Amino acid sequence: MRLGFDSKIMEKVVSAESLSLRYGSFTAVNQVSLEIQQGDCFGLLGPNGAGKSTFIRLLYGARLRDEGSLFVLGKDPEVSPRELKKKLGVVPQENCLDDNLTVEENLRIFGAYHGLYGEAFRARVIELLRFMSLEAKSTARVKQLSGGMQRRLTFVRALLHRPEFLILDEPTTGLDPAVRQLLWEKVHELNREGVTILLTTHYMEEAQKLCRNVAIMNEGRIASEGRPTELIEKHVPGFVAIFDRKSLGDKVSETELKKRSDLSYTLEPIQILLRASNLETLMGLAKEWGSEPLMIRPSNLEDVFLKIAGKDLDKYA
Amino acid sequence: MLETFRLCWKVVEHHWMVYRKNLFANSSITISDPIFFTLAFGFGLGAYVQDVDGRSYLLFMAPGLAAGAALLTSFFECSYNTYFRLNFDGTFKAMLTSPIGISEIIFGELLWVALKGAFMTLIISFVLGIFGLIQWPFIWAVPLAGALVGVACGAIGLIATTRVKNIDQFQVVYSFLIAPIYFLSGMFFPIHAGQGWIFWLVQISPLYHGTRLVQSFLWQEDILKNSLMHFPALIVLTFGLGFFAYKGFKKKLQLI
Repeated sequence: MRLGFDSKIMEKVVSAESLSLRYGSFTAVNQVSLEIQQGDCFGLLGPNGAGKSTFIRLLYGARLRDEGSLFVLGKDPEVSPRELKKKLGVVPQENCLDDNLTVEENLRIFGAYHGLYGEAFRARVIELLRFMSLEAKSTARVKQLSGGMQRRLTFVRALLHRPEFLILDEPTTGLDPAVRQLLWEKVHELNREGVTILLTTHYMEEAQKLCRNVAIMNEGRIASEGRPTELIEKHVPGFVAIFDRKSLGDKVSETELKKRSDLSYTLEPIQILLRASNLETLMGLAKEWGSEPLMIRPSNLEDVFLKIAGKDLDKYA
Repeated sequence: MLETFRLCWKVVEHHWMVYRKNLFANSSITISDPIFFTLAFGFGLGAYVQDVDGRSYLLFMAPGLAAGAALLTSFFECSYNTYFRLNFDGTFKAMLTSPIGISEIIFGELLWVALKGAFMTLIISFVLGIFGLIQWPFIWAVPLAGALVGVACGAIGLIATTRVKNIDQFQVVYSFLIAPIYFLSGMFFPIHAGQGWIFWLVQISPLYHGTRLVQSFLWQEDILKNSLMHFPALIVLTFGLGFFAYKGFKKKLQLI
């Protein structure tokens, strides 16, 4: 018989409290508190250098925290990393495959790390290669595979031991749309089968498609957290109008925009994004400027992201 | 403990799997060097050199080449190859997502060079034996010295890997540390107590002790006395270097 509180702990796949990690004077992860429930597909969003990958490395014990407490699948990654990693699969940002080995050899050696051998393991490999449409490539050397195939192989590698929890660090960065679609489908399928998933991405489309819950990370902190629709409702309710910056000329001044409390904006080099909760505000402004917007659309997660993390992007402008 | 050893062994299996893909290219330098040294110095130069400690120069030099092979194979493995695994191939990054941990990676590297050192020393001894340059009865003991030299010099490679800022800097380590160790190992000329500072300096060289051991095994000469003198010294050096390599490389792996 299980004790109540025990199963309650197990319901949380990740439970982080005031987690911090510093590299010298730079704080990569700053007082992060986060919970991921069993069965969730959780998206960790943020610009490059926000601390997403470092946070992920903390989860499987590849980094040691300076402060805070952390439990993953009910275990402290610093105390029992080996037991933890038997139940957890990681698709790292870089594939880290052995280029000179074949697909089958890459999987065989990684299976051996997990203590997997024999008939059952070979069947598992075939099943997964089929799942990722790689079955025709099992004897090919990794360096002969395309980028998309290598990525799929990295997924297979992470799934060999049937992990309960799958961590995907920028799973589709740099891949073509067809491979991305395929991977999204597979991630969705795994999640439906009960695998808890944490993914990092800076593709908001990806997050909105796959994730039930997201957290936006910026400068090592969790800036906002919730369901994608909640975040949109909270930060950028309503609509976005996109204007061509060039054709507006100097009709728009940033000081004017700053004064408006009924809208928020992002000035990009070629476009201006205006966000407002009601359409009339945007239309009124278009009339005032005498310029048709290029597009008006309902706001999405990308707008939340830009509003929260975009301020720092100005530094690079 | 058993699981730790199993995982170290998997690191070795990984390296072997990659190594054997290019077996000829990977082992050629370790095997060809002693052969050409034998030809050039033994047969060539040796003809002009008088007997050393009562044997021909060729017979004098031969065992040292076997010991030296352990140094070359292990240093190059733990410098260039480990550097690639660490910085370019993502080998260790991938391993750390599996049940393998940092300690197992480091012990796996050292176990791998212990085996390579032992194996290379044995192979070279065997080849020299075919040319009639060694005594056979104690050839079985040679890998023990080869393994210890392998770990000690592999540890030097790991320490270098934690310190270099780019891959070219390994050449500096080779020129000013590995080459002197190789040439002052007692392989090319005998090093005696009477020679002053050189004698004291080589006491901290793992290859000097390794060479003395292999020489005594393959000459079949003063085996007990040399084993009692040089095994303890080599073991101390191996553990010392292994300890520093472990500490340094652990820090490095915590940041990948």
